[in-house]
Amino acid sequence: MIDPAYVTQILINGVLMGLLYSLVALGLALIFGVMDIINFAHGDFVMLGAYLTFLIATYFLIDPTVTIALTVPLFFLLGIAVYKAIIKPVLGAEPLIQIAVTVGLLMFLRNLALAIFHAEPRGVPYTVFSTPITIGPITIPLSRAAAGAVSLAVLYIVHLLLTRTRWGIAVRATADDREAAALMGINVERVYYTTFGLGTALTALAAALIMTFSRADPYLGLLYGLLSWVIVAMGGLGGVVGVLASGLILGIIESFGMSLISAGARELFLYVTFLVVLWVRPRGLFGRR
Amino acid sequence: MPALELKEVYAGYGEFRVLHGVTIEVGKGEIVALVGPNGAGKTTTLRTIMGMTTLYSGDILLNGNSIRRLPTHKRVELGLTMVPEGRRLFNHLTVYENLVAGALTRKAKEKLSDSLEFVFTLFPRLKERRNQLAGTLSGGEAQMLAIGRALMSRPSILLLDEPSLGLAPKLVIAIFDTVRRLRDEAGVTMLLVEQHVKHSLEIADRGYVMELGKIVLRGEARSLLTDERLRRAYLII
Ligand SMILES: Nc1ncnc2c1ncn2[C@@H]1O[C@H](COP(=O)(O)OP(=O)(O)OP(=O)(O)O)[C@@H](O)[C@H]1O
Ligand SMILES: [Mg+2]
Repeated sequence: MIDPAYVTQILINGVLMGLLYSLVALGLALIFGVMDIINFAHGDFVMLGAYLTFLIATYFLIDPTVTIALTVPLFFLLGIAVYKAIIKPVLGAEPLIQIAVTVGLLMFLRNLALAIFHAEPRGVPYTVFSTPITIGPITIPLSRAAAGAVSLAVLYIVHLLLTRTRWGIAVRATADDREAAALMGINVERVYYTTFGLGTALTALAAALIMTFSRADPYLGLLYGLLSWVIVAMGGLGGVVGVLASGLILGIIESFGMSLISAGARELFLYVTFLVVLWVRPRGLFGRR
Repeated sequence: MPALELKEVYAGYGEFRVLHGVTIEVGKGEIVALVGPNGAGKTTTLRTIMGMTTLYSGDILLNGNSIRRLPTHKRVELGLTMVPEGRRLFNHLTVYENLVAGALTRKAKEKLSDSLEFVFTLFPRLKERRNQLAGTLSGGEAQMLAIGRALMSRPSILLLDEPSLGLAPKLVIAIFDTVRRLRDEAGVTMLLVEQHVKHSLEIADRGYVMELGKIVLRGEARSLLTDERLRRAYLII
């Protein structure tokens, strides 16, 4: 018999990671849903955000979560700049050209990180979230609990933005029918760059949360890029709810897989889940077309 | 001065030229019908007015000012809107959200509640269905929403591309009646593209007949209705 406390522990770990994974993927889901472009550099924005968090937290000796006051607005602007410089010119282009452009960005970011920081992981000097919470037999690292809670809150805020504001209606209308949106007087160009800005800003936020319990390294983009892709493919175009559900499923499966089968096979569980979902539901769990 | 004027417009899609010197005038408060066979370039004409094609030469004037260089959303801010062919609703948005999406321009925002009331009075069915997803509406309701959504931007000129397409005969009559009332009661100026040539010319003030990207006939709607060439080409079918 498996100890119920142990199972609960694994489940809680999975849910907390799943929430964070949902936040990591949210930006990608937004960008893909609105402008139909596959941003292969998404995970590497997380990596860039992790290094920036490391640098700022180390320089000012502050908690990594405080750095978001700087990194999130900066990444919003970075997203807009990247959109204008390299995404916009290829929006109507062949998928192959779009892939080449964002993979190029990925290579650039990854090699930039390798050149500056080498392959050595960097952790922040200190975080207020270092003590674990213990409830009976269950132990939850405070950093993971905070990351999960903040992720959930941000997912909810983005959901409200999309459903309750004029900007959100413009974004969803554009996602549905770009031309009809323009005919209604919606500035599609502005929808595109604000969406790309927000999607990128969210990676900085996720990166700060990741840095409370993990370290920055040049290959962080590999894991978080893959993760985001799996979540978006599973979530289909199901909006924030689809992203959240897919993230939770992945987090829980990963947690059980790592605890009960092998801790080293993290990516393997991602791939297998992805393949199974695509096999059962080719349009994603929450696909709508 | 006409409310809307196309002057010797040559336009198309990239290299594919469709319109060859089209001149059309729409006076304030008029319904002008634009008719012609499939593939004549009627939709292309409306899309060109909205800035969604390649304009090679010629000019488009809105109240005397050229709009040829403006992007689509700027033209909407100036009072132009189009009900596109096939409705093109935002299917994953509710009826209410579709209407709000039609009123996102600066000018329309302030009048949102007035505009909503206007549209709900015109189409009470939409009010009943306000929280339903647009993708689940019936054909008639969807067309009402397409027209209502366009009216939300408070257009001075409304372009209608086959608003009766795919509707049952009774609903066709209702749509034409709505178009007529929009002119008579709300003073909306309209350029109407339609397959139902006879119905269109009966409610229109003037009409243009387009073939192969050129205007081949123009005149008062009433005189076009009795024109022998037109009768032979369309009305008998
Ligand atoms: N997006 C497009 N790209 C290239 N060519 C197009 C496009 N849309 C229409 N055409 C071509 O332009 C010509 C005119 O088409 P248009 O849709 O304007 O005709 P129409 O008069 O509206 O016809 P219908 O009555 O069938 O709606 C046609 O030859 C058509 O194939
Ligand atoms: Mg047409």
